Amino acid sequence: MAQKILAIISLWLHLTFILVSSPFLLGVIGKTKAFFAGKWGPPLFQPYYDIAKLLRKGCVYSTTTTWIFRAAPMIALAAVLVSGFLVPMGGFNAPAQFWGDVILFVYLFALARFFIILAALDTGSSFEGIGASREATFSCLSEVALFLNFTALALISKNLSITGLVGGGVSLPWQIIGPALTLVVISFFLILLCENSRIPVDDPATHLELTMIHEVMVLDHSGVDLAYILYGGAVKLFVLGSFLMAILIPFKTQNIFMDTGIFCSGMTGLAVAIGVIESVMARLRLNRVPYFLISAVIFAVFALIITLVRGGH
Amino acid sequence: MLFVLIVLPLMMAGLMFILPSKRARISLLVLTALFHLSCVVCFWKIAPQTQWHGFLSLDVLGLLILSIISVLFVVVSFYLIAYLKGEENRSTRFFIACLLVFLSAMTLVTVSRHLGLLWIAIEATTLFSAILINFHRTPRGIEATWKFLLICSVGIAMALLGTLFLAVAATNIKSLLLEDLLSNAPALIESWLKLSVIFLLIGYGTKMGLVPMHSWKPDTYGEAPGPVGALMSGALTSCAFLAILRVGQICHQADQMAFFQSITLLLGMLSLFVASVFILGQTDFKRMLGYSSIEHMGILVLGVGLGGAGFYGSLYHMLNNAFAKGLMFLVAGNLYRYYRNSKAHHIQGVLHSYPQTGILLLVGFLCVTGFPPFGTFFSELLILNAAVTGKHYIVAFLYVLFLGIIFIGMSKIVLKMAFGEPQDKPADDQYRESISMVVPLVILGLIGLLLGIFIPSYLSEVLQRASGFLGGQ
Amino acid sequence: MEAWLDMTLVLVVLLGLFMIGSNRLGAIIQIFGLQSVVLGTIPFLMYFSKIEIHIVIVSLVAMVLKGFLMPYFLFWAIRHVSIRREVSPLIGFGSTLFLSGFLIAGSFILSSRLIFPYPVMSDFIIPASFSTIMMGFLLLISRAKAITQVVGYLVMENGIFLFALLLLEKTPLLVEMGILLDVFVGALVMGIVVNHISDHFEHTDTSHLTVLRD
Repeated sequence: MAQKILAIISLWLHLTFILVSSPFLLGVIGKTKAFFAGKWGPPLFQPYYDIAKLLRKGCVYSTTTTWIFRAAPMIALAAVLVSGFLVPMGGFNAPAQFWGDVILFVYLFALARFFIILAALDTGSSFEGIGASREATFSCLSEVALFLNFTALALISKNLSITGLVGGGVSLPWQIIGPALTLVVISFFLILLCENSRIPVDDPATHLELTMIHEVMVLDHSGVDLAYILYGGAVKLFVLGSFLMAILIPFKTQNIFMDTGIFCSGMTGLAVAIGVIESVMARLRLNRVPYFLISAVIFAVFALIITLVRGGH
Repeated sequence: MLFVLIVLPLMMAGLMFILPSKRARISLLVLTALFHLSCVVCFWKIAPQTQWHGFLSLDVLGLLILSIISVLFVVVSFYLIAYLKGEENRSTRFFIACLLVFLSAMTLVTVSRHLGLLWIAIEATTLFSAILINFHRTPRGIEATWKFLLICSVGIAMALLGTLFLAVAATNIKSLLLEDLLSNAPALIESWLKLSVIFLLIGYGTKMGLVPMHSWKPDTYGEAPGPVGALMSGALTSCAFLAILRVGQICHQADQMAFFQSITLLLGMLSLFVASVFILGQTDFKRMLGYSSIEHMGILVLGVGLGGAGFYGSLYHMLNNAFAKGLMFLVAGNLYRYYRNSKAHHIQGVLHSYPQTGILLLVGFLCVTGFPPFGTFFSELLILNAAVTGKHYIVAFLYVLFLGIIFIGMSKIVLKMAFGEPQDKPADDQYRESISMVVPLVILGLIGLLLGIFIPSYLSEVLQRASGFLGGQ
Repeated sequence: MEAWLDMTLVLVVLLGLFMIGSNRLGAIIQIFGLQSVVLGTIPFLMYFSKIEIHIVIVSLVAMVLKGFLMPYFLFWAIRHVSIRREVSPLIGFGSTLFLSGFLIAGSFILSSRLIFPYPVMSDFIIPASFSTIMMGFLLLISRAKAITQVVGYLVMENGIFLFALLLLEKTPLLVEMGILLDVFVGALVMGIVVNHISDHFEHTDTSHLTVLRD
């Protein structure tokens, strides 16, 4: 009984941690970009205000849409939140883990994406159709890379659950297999940029529908739905980021506060890095984006090869 | 002495940039060539001593090829006296300097005993012959140069990789000097040796122009100036063949001759086949010579692949081919001078318009296609003999068939050029046949004939000893 | 040291991949220079404990020649060329990137089959060298611009240089130098010919060099 209560508490703690801290990353990215542009920029907590404001507003639905359009934002948010349960975050161990949960992890993201794409198609708008087709194309490549990375990590850790791959008890052998892990990190970072529609794949600040990918799909969402989608995006960035952190920080101090502190500063560092990249790079032309993703695939393949050569000791 | 032979042309090449007049530059070129030849003649009497910690030394195989280079170079330099007179609009300074560096690099090929040094020398010949091809700076010439440079450089890079593999195979020997390799050949690691043999054959085979690495050859020979073509098809290909023979020597000592010969046999048959197919539809005289060169290179490696009397035949054929091809390309140079073209349908009735060149064209044709009493006939017969005695009946049959096809293909072009009706009268007598543009050709023709009717005993002894390197009697 | 050596070797291969993925001629030349400089540091990492003057000379000369002089010279060769992009490669960028992934995998498999007669410093050296050679070759055959083909050839030579580093202790300095000099002169001559091509044809697209054929 006590164990059950403990499990429920840890579940809630995890959920709260994700929900509370994820919009903060967007704020840090925004601040970094403003710094590089020589501006003061919006406050760090602007994403919280935005979400709070949107949550208070009502929704407008087009008469051509069906229930899919209404359900999609909720499903998307729920899916990414559930995927967050599988990932250990700093001092918090993952509340849920079982053999093979990496596949669930990838497919929860796919589920979220699938419903967003369906909702975009549901509106019947040609612009949203463009966005949906692009999102589907690019996700094909990024999922390949993601699975290859997981394969490489699974070969290193000889395990198939996320906690077993990168969790607290696992210390990744950076001395032996350093090159492979570096490649996995690079590849994973590229995937993270693509999955979260950041520059150089997609520009979250653009206002030209023809060049957008993610933003153009959610043009028709408003009010609470839009808030869910924004929140979902923030949580997705946070979950993928924390996975990256788990690879990058291979040690644990066993002190829950220390670990969480290191984790939080690492995440902030990641957000700053993304902000810097967004400031110094231009968005790639759409026909170059596949090359960007292919390079992520190749990094992963390369990592896999090195693991196969060096792995197992 | 060997060192002098390599460095002197280099120094003379440097002098070319100082000398003021064209006449002085050409006479210096001829003098250097004559000096080179006289040194080589001395080497036949007294073998030069090894130099530079055994890096430079001359064995009979090297001597044979060095002699080819030297004789051809002297003839070509005499020919250039008249040829360059007609090329008023191009700077000869750079051309002659490159020619001399080319000579130096080819000499280095024949005397180097270290496989790395051999590679360096062969790569140098590629680079400097590329500059020579581009003498006229026509768009077609640039295209040919580009193809030659790129294909040969990649091929030679393969040869470098092969050399490195050989160094790995020679881990226990700790040296790439030919002497050490040959005397400790059984210590070579077999798998790496085989790998290196494949890469070396591909690499140096590219330089020789063996099928399937031949595609640069017709383009380059089609666009190169006649004298450059003579040097390339006669001397340069012999240098590449020398590199392949060195590989064969190592294989012979390491008991891998069967492996080596199976590859060369295949490359030889392929070259003959492709040459015979493409020579049939040719419309360009010089391109036809390019395919003929592929054919002869095929015969050379085929002889090596057959073994037995084939080694002797192959070396003998190398001599014959060098002079026959030299003659043909100089004839092509003359024809290009007269007609400003090398398309066969523009050049007709040479025998009528320019009787001396016409006769030499026919002589060269008979020499190249292996007609008795020229030397090529006997060397091709020797290789056929090797095929029959080695019980390679299919090879022998195909060999005769391809030679027949090539003979028909070439005669169709050459006979029309020689006997056809001249299209128009040569307008001005600026390009009359000058004696200086005929005599060098006559010399080459005479050598080709002499090699057929009379082989001096010391030459046949050298050929015997050189073929003994590969396991021939 | 070995961890650094591994990282550097992986970097060499990755730079090769960048060259294949890039479509700007200037970027390709610069990455080639960077790759050569990185290659030049490898001998120091390999022979860290037993460094000799001969090894230092070879790596410094290689670094200066390939890392700085050759890129400078290649830029000189295309100084008049206005189109500095690989517009229509013979094989597309995506396919070449995928192909090079296969080539890397192939070279790892190949080199796991080859048994090197003595222990080497890192088991990445041979596969990295093979994959660099193959990627150079891929660059050479899949691109239409003359200058990219030259870079492809030079990348091949870089791969061969990497293999030669294994034998560095046994090769005479003079031979090493001769090979480097030859490659440099080769790049020089190729650059001059590229210059001629751009003067005569007003482009450097070798897919237009098709006059000579049967």
